Amino acid sequence: MGARTETIADAGRTLGVNQPLYSGPARSAAEDATIVAEARAGDRTAFGRLYDRYARMVHGILLARVPRDAVEDLVQDVFLLALRRLHTLRDAAAFGGWLAMITRNRAKDYFRRSPQRLETELSENVAGAERECSGPDAEALAALAAIRELPDAYRETLILRLVEGMNGPEIAARTGLTPGSVRVNLHRGMEMLRKRLEKIPFSRQEVE
Amino acid sequence: MNDDYLWDRSGKPDAEVERLENLLRRFRQDAPAPDFAHAAVEPERSGPAWWRWPRLAIAAASFAALSFLAWYAIRATRPAWTVERLAGTPAVGSLTIRAPGHLLAGESLETDANSRARINMEAVGEVEVDPNTRLRLLRARPLEHRFALDRGTIHAFIWAPPRLFTVDTPSAVAVDLGCRYTLHVEPGGNGELHVTFGWVSFDHTVNGATVESFVPAGAMCLTRPGAGPGTPYFEDASPALRAALEKLDFDLVAGGVKGGIPGGVQGGVSGGVTGGISGGVTGGVSEGVTGGVESLEKVRAAVLDTVLSESRRQDALTLWHLLSRTAGAERARVYERLAQLVPPPAGVTRQGILEGDPATQRNMRDLWWDELGLGDTSWWRIWKGPAPVR
Repeated sequence: MGARTETIADAGRTLGVNQPLYSGPARSAAEDATIVAEARAGDRTAFGRLYDRYARMVHGILLARVPRDAVEDLVQDVFLLALRRLHTLRDAAAFGGWLAMITRNRAKDYFRRSPQRLETELSENVAGAERECSGPDAEALAALAAIRELPDAYRETLILRLVEGMNGPEIAARTGLTPGSVRVNLHRGMEMLRKRLEKIPFSRQEVE
Repeated sequence: MNDDYLWDRSGKPDAEVERLENLLRRFRQDAPAPDFAHAAVEPERSGPAWWRWPRLAIAAASFAALSFLAWYAIRATRPAWTVERLAGTPAVGSLTIRAPGHLLAGESLETDANSRARINMEAVGEVEVDPNTRLRLLRARPLEHRFALDRGTIHAFIWAPPRLFTVDTPSAVAVDLGCRYTLHVEPGGNGELHVTFGWVSFDHTVNGATVESFVPAGAMCLTRPGAGPGTPYFEDASPALRAALEKLDFDLVAGGVKGGIPGGVQGGVSGGVTGGISGGVTGGVSEGVTGGVESLEKVRAAVLDTVLSESRRQDALTLWHLLSRTAGAERARVYERLAQLVPPPAGVTRQGILEGDPATQRNMRDLWWDELGLGDTSWWRIWKGPAPVR
């Protein structure tokens, strides 16, 4: 276990991940339980630590579902909502799965409250990315749009992995999904993404 | 197929994954933590105690009413998928589909020579149904979506987690491990599976013995009533190899089985990745068949010659499956040829593959599989394990 933790930590440093590094599922859940207890007791710095640990997950789940320019505000909404509702969480060690559920529900609310937003969302597709800009930005936007066109489970997991820089075990521990489920979602999502990217001209040139 | 880098950044980096990581990191979360010091926190309880009891009573009554409505709704409806007409006059039961309709569990969808249809399964995937096809929906449950293809052709594109979508045919069951495939069944029950994306497990169980083939994208597999799925091969394999394999899998073996090898062949075949009983063919033949066995063995040897000589590096997929479908001298020859194409890794020995106990053989085959470039066996365990849940 120790060796695995080192490997993941090294990978995090290599990728320049600033957030606290993932320390394995059991340890991560135990740390969550401690921090949640402190936050429930009124320690707001403890809630700040939860933010540091989970901001990437919340950001990734939202980025998979709502327009990019709405994500930052919604991240804050989610954490403020979680802070207000923290006393309703029965199992402190399950904070990650609980927060992920709040985040997905908040994304649904975003569209429910204003259905016309769906049109904005739909305009952020691959063709739109190609039209709106060029070069690496267009390529990145097109790749992101291609991910966002995948089925829910795949796009969320792929965004956490490719955009937020989390690895598979960390995604599983943070979101409360089983490692097997995450691995399958990553694999199948990546296969579908490769097929979609083959159809994007500049993406194909880059690969070749 | 090796996804170790995608999974935990171990193993050989995947160039495309690395490229996307670098490209997409610009969208990563980098906002500082908001100031939580002044955020309001909901009190744990609100209102005086005397007010909480009426509220609990109202909540309980509401819950009971909703439970009744849910129970009634479940009883009133059976699971159903949407059927869309693509051409002609497809029919569900005796009703012709004009506008989008529904296919319920227990019903069948039938197309004539001029009809085509599509079944939309929301979070599961979609199935296109070609002309002259009869397809029955056996079950539509959250963790099991099962069809039976009696005849005709379907094209399945599945995005549900592995193993949730299965199609029964008269001689094998196609279990979705991947994403896209075409399945064809002739009126007599012979079938063909062509996989274009992902993986499909094609298996058949008789008397507890399982014949199992793993078919990756670009490969295909035949199946015959009584014999189950044959050995998978890539679509670009030579015609000579394909013809020889068909004889080996169905014609020559079928004669042997009919001649009196009780359970021998099925037992010998039952060892795809999951492993199983080995050595069935030779044991069964030597004990149960008289007359014609020697000539059968000679013919099989000649046909196996063709399979081995026509095999390319890519056809290691085929030879690997043959390791568990042959025995004795045949398996020794398969071993030698596979070893030429893909040298056995450390931990795999000729003696172990040929004479080891079933567990040893299985472990060694697993190790060898990892060298084929088709993903590692730990990956298979995940595909074949319990269905992932969200």
